[in-house]
Amino acid sequence: MGFELREIHKHFGAVRANDGVNLSVASGELHGLLGENGAGKSTLMKVLSGFHQKTSGEILVEGEPVELRTPADAMQHGIGMLHQDPLVFLPFTVLDNFIIGSPGPERVNRREAARELATLAERFGFNFDPDTPTRRLTVGERQQLEILRLLWLGARVLILDEPTTGISAPQRIKLFATLRELAADGMSVVFVSHKLEEVEELCERVTIIRAGAVVGERDLPCPAAELVELMFGGEVEVGERPIVGLGPPRLVVSGLGVQDRLASVEDFDLEVAEGEVIGLAGLEGSGQRIVLDALSGLRRAQTGTIQAGGRDLTKTGYRGYLAAGVQFLPAGRLEEGLVAGLTLTEHFVLAARSDSFRIDWDSAREEAGRDIVDHFIKGTPESTAESLSGGNQQRLLLAMLQDNLSVLLMEHPTRGLDIESAAWVWEQLLLRREDGTAIVFASADLDELLEYSDRILVFFNGSVLAEVNARTSSVDELGHLIGGKVSR
Amino acid sequence: MSTTKVSRVLLVFVAFALIAAACGDSEPVDAEGFKFGMILVGPQNDHGWSQAHYEAGQYVAELTGAEMIVQDKVNPSDLPEKTVDQVAADLIALGAELVFATSDDMKDGILLAAEQNPDVPMIWSSGDSAWEDGKAFAGLDNLGNVMGKMEFGKMIAGCAAGLTTQTGSIGYVGPLTNDETQRLVNSAYLGAKYCWETYREETTPLDFAVTWIGFWFNIPGFTLDPTQVSNEFLDSGADVLISGIDTTEALVEAGKRASEGEAVWSVPYDFEGACAEAPDICLGTPYFNWGPAYLEIVNSVVNGDFKAEWQWNGPDWDNLTDNTKTALGWVSGDGLSADASADLDDFIAGLGSGDINLFTGPLNYQDGSVYLADGEEATDFQIWYTEQLLEGITGESASGG
Amino acid sequence: MNFADLWKRSRTGVFAVAMALVVGILLLLVAGANPFEALGVIIDGSLGSTARFGDTLMVWAPLVLAAAGLLITFAAGLWNIGVEGQIVFGAIAASLVAREVSGPTWLIVTLALLAGFAGGGFWAFLAGLLRTYGKVNEIFGGLGLFFVAQALAVYLVLGPWKRPGVASTSGTEPFPRESWLPTLGSTRLSWVAVLVAVIAVLVVFYLLRGTRFGLRLKAVGKNMRSAFLLGIPTGRYMLAAFALGGGLAGLAGAVQATGFHHKLVPSISGGYGFLAILVAMLAGYAARWIAPIAFVFAMLAVGSTLLPLKLGLDSSVGGVLQGVLVLFTILAQGWQARRQNRSDGVAAGPPEPPIVPGEVG
Ligand SMILES: Nc1ncnc2c1ncn2[C@@H]1O[C@H](COP(=O)(O)OP(=O)(O)OP(=O)(O)O)[C@@H](O)[C@H]1O
Ligand SMILES: [Mg+2]
Repeated sequence: MGFELREIHKHFGAVRANDGVNLSVASGELHGLLGENGAGKSTLMKVLSGFHQKTSGEILVEGEPVELRTPADAMQHGIGMLHQDPLVFLPFTVLDNFIIGSPGPERVNRREAARELATLAERFGFNFDPDTPTRRLTVGERQQLEILRLLWLGARVLILDEPTTGISAPQRIKLFATLRELAADGMSVVFVSHKLEEVEELCERVTIIRAGAVVGERDLPCPAAELVELMFGGEVEVGERPIVGLGPPRLVVSGLGVQDRLASVEDFDLEVAEGEVIGLAGLEGSGQRIVLDALSGLRRAQTGTIQAGGRDLTKTGYRGYLAAGVQFLPAGRLEEGLVAGLTLTEHFVLAARSDSFRIDWDSAREEAGRDIVDHFIKGTPESTAESLSGGNQQRLLLAMLQDNLSVLLMEHPTRGLDIESAAWVWEQLLLRREDGTAIVFASADLDELLEYSDRILVFFNGSVLAEVNARTSSVDELGHLIGGKVSR
Repeated sequence: MSTTKVSRVLLVFVAFALIAAACGDSEPVDAEGFKFGMILVGPQNDHGWSQAHYEAGQYVAELTGAEMIVQDKVNPSDLPEKTVDQVAADLIALGAELVFATSDDMKDGILLAAEQNPDVPMIWSSGDSAWEDGKAFAGLDNLGNVMGKMEFGKMIAGCAAGLTTQTGSIGYVGPLTNDETQRLVNSAYLGAKYCWETYREETTPLDFAVTWIGFWFNIPGFTLDPTQVSNEFLDSGADVLISGIDTTEALVEAGKRASEGEAVWSVPYDFEGACAEAPDICLGTPYFNWGPAYLEIVNSVVNGDFKAEWQWNGPDWDNLTDNTKTALGWVSGDGLSADASADLDDFIAGLGSGDINLFTGPLNYQDGSVYLADGEEATDFQIWYTEQLLEGITGESASGG
Repeated sequence: MNFADLWKRSRTGVFAVAMALVVGILLLLVAGANPFEALGVIIDGSLGSTARFGDTLMVWAPLVLAAAGLLITFAAGLWNIGVEGQIVFGAIAASLVAREVSGPTWLIVTLALLAGFAGGGFWAFLAGLLRTYGKVNEIFGGLGLFFVAQALAVYLVLGPWKRPGVASTSGTEPFPRESWLPTLGSTRLSWVAVLVAVIAVLVVFYLLRGTRFGLRLKAVGKNMRSAFLLGIPTGRYMLAAFALGGGLAGLAGAVQATGFHHKLVPSISGGYGFLAILVAMLAGYAARWIAPIAFVFAMLAVGSTLLPLKLGLDSSVGGVLQGVLVLFTILAQGWQARRQNRSDGVAAGPPEPPIVPGEVG
C-alpha cells in the first residue's frame, strides 16, 4: 500500500523538527530513511503513525487524504510503527501482548488469536510459546512479536525506527528476510537507521533528511560517500586511533560469580590494564550485562573479588564504586541514566556531584550552555531530556560522565548515534585512556567492537567462550563465536 | 413563727408553684419574631437523642410562633471546620436570642460561647454548669442546664427486663462512660434486681453486665460495633438487652434472634417510637421529652425573666406519656406479658408515690467502697455524680477499671 | 511570561473551575436553592466579617501546612496517603506538650509546634522505612499507620488522657489557656498558625526551586533508577522527603490541637490531610498555587456551614461542591495530559501512583 507525505511541518515550540518534508513510498517498496542525529526522522515517523499531530501538511494513503489523530487512527488506515524499544507489557504473556490493542469493542477469541499467532509465526520462522511472560523474551524476540501483532492488526505500511541497534546479527538477518518477504506481498516498509550498510543491504530507495527537510533521494545501490555527504553536508573523517601504552592493572576481577533470572556467570576472571579497552560480545542475555552490573556495584557478586585502582570494592555498594571512580553507562537512556521531565541544566547540576545546598541557576544555565556546545547536543539548557532525539540523549549521557574516571563501563555506547557522532564520541572516550582510565564496554555492533577494543571477550550462555585480539580478528570470526561455534 | 406555720406556708407555696408549673408557665407566650438556635450533635432525624431535641424545638416553635434555627451534626468528625462556640456565634449572628447546645459533648464550646456572649441566654442540656452545689459550677449568668430524670426511666426499663428474663441474665449495651451513663446503668440494675427479687421472688442473684462501645452511636474505627456487642451478649446467655445508646442495634439483633425462634427481648432507648423495629419482643422504651422544659425557657427569655438555672426534671407520674407535661416518658411494648405488665404498673406506682426508693442503702460501689450506708437515701448530688457502677454489675467503671 | 503563555498554563484550571461552577449551580437548582444566593451565603459566611475571615484562615492554615508537606513527598514521587495519620500523630505529640509543660505561652507554643513537627515527621518516617526497607508500598503503609495513629488517639482520649470521671471519644479536657495558640484580639484567628503556614509554603517553594536537595528529590521522584545511577542515595532521600513532608503535616496537627480544638479529639485531623491531597493536585504540585487554592477550599468549607442555617439546605452541600470542583479539575488535567501527549509526546500531569514497590538498589 503506497502513501505520500506532503509538506509536513512539525514544530515543538520554536523547534522545527520537520520543516516541510515530502516523501512518497510505493506499495511493496523497501524505503530507507537516513539522517544525522536530530535530523527529524523519528518525528516524521511519529507523525505518520499518529503518535504526533502534525503542525501542517498533508498525508495521503493510496491517494486519499487522511487525518491521523491517534495511533489507532493510523492503524485503521493500515499504518503500524515498530518502536525502537517495542512497547510490550512485560509482566503479560506473549499471547496477551499479541491481543492487546486489538481493534473494536468485540471480545477477542483467545483461541482464535492463539491460532493466528501460531500461523503467522510459522510463516516467518519465529518461535513463540504463547504463555511465557514477555519479560523472558530478548529485545529481538519482542520486535518479532510486535511485527506479528501489527500484521495481525492489518498493517500494510510498516515503519521501523532504528530496529537493529539492540539485536544481534543473526536476529538482524532474520528480520531483513522477513521484511523482504512482506514487501514482496505489497507491504510498504520504511526503515530508519544510521547504518549505511544496513540501508544498502535492505532498501531499494533511500531518502536523506537534514535539519527537518529532505536533502536528497537516491535509488540504491549508490556510492556510500555520496550518502554520507548528503547526511552531514560534508565528508566524515574517522580519526586514526591513537596508540596508548598499557600501564599496570587497573581493574582486577577474579572468580566472579553473579546471576539474574535469565543468565548466570560463574568463575569470571579479568584483568584490565590502565588505558586498555575491553569489548564484550555476545547475544543479548549471554551474561555481559550482569557482569557489567557486578563490576559497577549494581549487582552483588555471589563469589569472587573485584579490585579497582588497587582498592578492594567487593563489599561496597554502587555509590562506593562511584566514589572510587568506577562509572557505568547502561543502554536504556531514559530508563537508566536520564530523567524525563528534567531539563538539560538540571541534568548537568545533578551530575556535577557538588555538595553546595543552594543552586545558582544563572551560572548553572551558563555552564549547561557551554556543555551543550562542547558536546554538540542539539537542544537548549531548557530542553527536557525526553525532547532530545535519541542520538542527542546519548550525547547528553556522555557529557554527564565524570571527568577523572578510573574505570568506565558502558553498554551500547554509541547506540543510535550517526557515524559522525559515533566517531567523535569514541575519540573523546579514547582520550580518557591517557589518564589511565580502563574501559570495558558491551556492544552488539561487531564493527565497533573490532574497531575500538584491544581485546574482545565473547560470551556464550553465561561464560566466556573465547578471548580474541581485536587487531587480528574479523567480523566473520566474531559472528561465529557469538553463535557458539568455536572454529579451529 | 412555729414550725407548723412554716410548713403550712410552705405547703401553700408549693401548691402554687405546682399549679404554676402545670398550667401557668407552660402556657405559651406569643413569641412571633423570636428566634432561638439549636445545636445538635447528630442528624436531626436520628430517631434518637438529637431528634428528640429537634422535635422539642418544633413543638415550642409551633406553640409560640418563634422561629428555630438548627445546625445539626456538630461534632469534630462531621463538622471539622467549626467548633461549638463558632456555631453558636453563627446562630447569634443570624438573630438567635437563645441558644440550645444539646449534648454532653458540647461543654467546652458552649462555656466559651456563653463567656463570649454574656447577653445571650444559652442552655447546655444534660450539663451541670449552673448547679451551684455541683462540682462544675461555672457561675455564668447566661448559661442554664436542663436534664430529665432518666434514672426513673431506666429503673422501669430494668424492671421490665427483670420481670421478663428467663435465664436471669441481662445485657446492657452502654455508650461511653461518664457520671450520667453510670447513673443510668445503676438505675437499670436496681430496677431489674428489685423486680427480679420482689415480684418473681427469685433468690439466685441476677446476672447484669454492661459493655461500653465508646460513644453514643457507632463510629466505625472509633467505637466497638454495637451489633457485635449485642450478639456477644445473646451468645453468652443473656436474653434481655437494654440499650443505652442512641441507635437501635440491640433491639434489631434481638429481633433477628427471636424470628429464629429464640426467646429474647430488648428495651431500646431515647425515642418514643423506638419499638417499631421489632415490636413483638420490645418490652417498652423510656424516652426524653424536652418540649415542656424548652417551652418554659423560651417563655422566660421572651418575658425577660430568664435565670440561669440547673433543672433536673422528673416525670409526670400520673401519665408517663403526656408529652405536654412529662420530662421523660415510658411506653410499654408488645413484648411485655400481661402478668409482667401488671407488676410493672405496680412498680411505677410505687416509684411515683415514693414508696419505692431504690437509691437507698446499703449499696456498695464495684470496688467494695460504700456508696450508701444502710438506710441512707441518696441525695441528688450522690445520684448525679455517680463515680462507679454498683457492686453486682459486671463491666468497667470510668474511675474504677 | 506573556499573556498567551499565562492563558495556556492556566486554562485547564479556569476550565475546571468554570465547569465545576456550572455543575455546582445545576446541583443547587436540583436541591431547590437559588445558586447565586447560595454563593452569596458561602462568600458572606467565609469572608463576611473579621470573625468569619478568621475562621476561614483557621481552616486554611492546617490545609496549607499539610499540602505543603505533600508537595515534598509528591516531588519524590511518593503518594503519601498516610498524611492523615501524620496530622494525628503530630497533634498527639503537641497535645502531650500542651498538657504536660507549664511555663510562658511562647515557650509552650514553641515546644508544642516543634513536637508536632517531630511527631508527624516520625510517623511519616515509619512509612518511609516500610517503603524503603520493607518494600511496603507507601499507600498501604501510610494507611495502616493512619489507622494506628487514629487508634492511639482514641486510646489516649478514652484512657490515660480521659477527663476525670468521663471516658468519651469526644475529647480530652481542654488544655490550659497558656498552651493555646495566641490569637489576634478577641477573634479565634491565631496569627501563629497563619505565620507558620506562610513560612512553610515559602520554605517548600525555596527547597524545591533553589536547592540541590529539591532537585535530587525531583530526580528520585521522576526516575528512581536514573537518580540512583547518578549517585543519589535514593532511599535516604525518600526518607528525608517523608520526614519533612510528615513534619509539616504534624505541624498542621499541632495547629489543630493547640489553635483550634484546644484539646485532643480523635478526629483531630478534620480530614484536612485528604483534602490537602486534592489541593496539591489542583495546584499542579506547584508551591505557589497552594495558598490560593487552599483558601478557596477553606472558604467553601467554612462558608457552606451556613447553607443549612440560611437556606435550609442539607449540610452536606458544601462537601458535594468541593467534590465537584475536584472531579472537574482531575478530569481537566487528564484531558490536558492527553492533548499534550498527542501534540508533543510528553506525558504531563501528576506522578503515577507507584503500584508496584519500586526497587531501591
Ligand atoms: N517532544 C519534543 N519537544 C521538543 N523538541 C523535540 C521533541 N521531540 C523531538 N524534538 C526535537 O526535534 C528534533 C528532531 O528529533 P527526532 O527525534 O525526530 O530526531 P531523529 O532524526 O530521530 O534523531 P536520532 O537519530 O538522534 O534519533 C530534535 O532537535 C529534537 O530535540
Ligand atoms: Mg530518532
